[in-house]
Amino acid sequence: MALSAGVLGMLAFILLAFYGVAGWALVRTLRQESRKAEILEEQDRMDTYSPKALAELRDWIEDNPDDPLVDEARRRYNECVDTLETTDRHFYDWSDREIDRLEQI
Amino acid sequence: MADTPAKTARAEWGTRFGFLMAMIGAMVGAGNIWRFPYIAGNNGGGAFILAYLALLFLLAVPGLMAEVALGRYTGKGVIGAFREVVGRSGLVGFGVVVLLVNVALMSYYSPVIGWTLYYAIHSLLFTFTSAGFQPEAFWTAFLDNPVLTIGLHTVVMGTIAAVLALGIRRGVERLVVYAVPALVFSLVVMTIRGLTLPGASDGIAFIFGVQWEFLARSETWITALGQALFSTGLGWGIALTIGSYLREYDDVPLGGGVFTAIGESSIGVLAALAIFPVVFAVGLEPDVGANLAFISLVQVFPEIPFGGLVAILFFVGFFLATLTSGLLITEVSVTTISEETRLDRTQTVLGVCGAIWLLGIPSAYSVTILNYLDFVFGNWGLPLATLAIIGVIGWVLGPQRLRLLTVNRNAGIYVGHWWNPVVKYVIPAVMLFIVAYFAYDNFGSPEMIGGMLVLVLFPIIGYALMSILEGRAPPEAAEVPGGDD
Repeated sequence: MALSAGVLGMLAFILLAFYGVAGWALVRTLRQESRKAEILEEQDRMDTYSPKALAELRDWIEDNPDDPLVDEARRRYNECVDTLETTDRHFYDWSDREIDRLEQI
Repeated sequence: MADTPAKTARAEWGTRFGFLMAMIGAMVGAGNIWRFPYIAGNNGGGAFILAYLALLFLLAVPGLMAEVALGRYTGKGVIGAFREVVGRSGLVGFGVVVLLVNVALMSYYSPVIGWTLYYAIHSLLFTFTSAGFQPEAFWTAFLDNPVLTIGLHTVVMGTIAAVLALGIRRGVERLVVYAVPALVFSLVVMTIRGLTLPGASDGIAFIFGVQWEFLARSETWITALGQALFSTGLGWGIALTIGSYLREYDDVPLGGGVFTAIGESSIGVLAALAIFPVVFAVGLEPDVGANLAFISLVQVFPEIPFGGLVAILFFVGFFLATLTSGLLITEVSVTTISEETRLDRTQTVLGVCGAIWLLGIPSAYSVTILNYLDFVFGNWGLPLATLAIIGVIGWVLGPQRLRLLTVNRNAGIYVGHWWNPVVKYVIPAVMLFIVAYFAYDNFGSPEMIGGMLVLVLFPIIGYALMSILEGRAPPEAAEVPGGDD
């Protein structure tokens, strides 16, 4: 029995949706791992948040000063800022201008 | 119990690949191989797979991110993780619920691993392609021989104990980094063999032919929902435990969420591609459950060229899939009991594996008992564990806090605000719906009564036990009170 165009189309879509996404995720995460290892060979620590995630963390700290976890959030924020200011190589895509604007909370 | 000082520095995964393979090895089990292909074919083929894919992204990916992140955030096994979030109180008992469900699950899963081991051994002996071989009689004779089934259950638990005793890196990781690729390799070779057989296209059409009208049926979505949640092992404590061994700069959402959910489902699709072209090529009807693997498929091997070798690939791969799941299911109990008691890892492994072995003897002895427990825990026990874990994240710790503090920290992808309501409302609502739907569908049956007993008794036992044990320790405020996202 010859396969219909519909079956072949669905097969192609499913292969792409499953193996495409799983393959992309696997390659991306393993490459990131290599990059992290490379950075940590040169320096003992590394930035932990992307610009967007760090900005969001800062907003949350400012909006929730009485939250029981705010001290931990502040520590993580400050740790990332300190690392960005004192290291040369960064994992996330930080520009010098963005780093200059950062302040500890 | 809980105030035992740390014995040694906590173990970590040696490599990123080791963590990823542990996640995949844990989640890919018998269901991916004997259940997914059949239910896909019977529920609209491609239409079902589309529904399943959508639910994976909507529920399983965010849910797994949350569970791995909780393990990563607390750096503890299930009971310790609950204590970190709810403080010292009886509510820590919900961690005990997760533990009890895992022990129960493993007690009847170990005999199933024993079945796959038995068939893997016979595939290596070329039994299935020998003259006069009778698949059904062989299967029945095997199940009717309790010495054999209990013996294999013993071998399986002994093997799991030996691997777990070696530790996370030297035991679990060392095995999964070879076993998971070997499983994929087996299925790929079998797929190539199957697709090159005359008549294989009928099998492809059965699974991937699209019957769009199925998308309008509630049954399709409920089946897809069950498959998406159960095959990914969401909320069983496995992802939490594996996540607790992540290293300082490891990512959570990309590897623990996207790769795990889609990757393990990809193996289900691969199993469909490996099995159904072969089954249809020799003119057999597809079947579901154990019969597909142990009777239908076994009839195929003598009919195809190189059938003996294909049988080896299939059953060895199948055995590896079930063994790695069994390892990680057992690790949930080993990790948390080792943390909560004065026992060292080897003593804990022996105690946990011994208890599971003892509890698993009735299931190894009788398939009826095994099927009963599978139905009860599959439909009510596992959703209860999922509700406990996702509930504590969604309603006590709070998804917004977890997302900011852990999910997006060192992350390979950014996870936005959309994640919060999915974890807090959607996943718990879906789990409650599943529990209620199965209860309604099986109302008054012995299975439903057993399920209701699990739903009521397990939380009571957990709460009472931890109220007593936690009460002995000095009072302490909850680490994470409130959860007002």
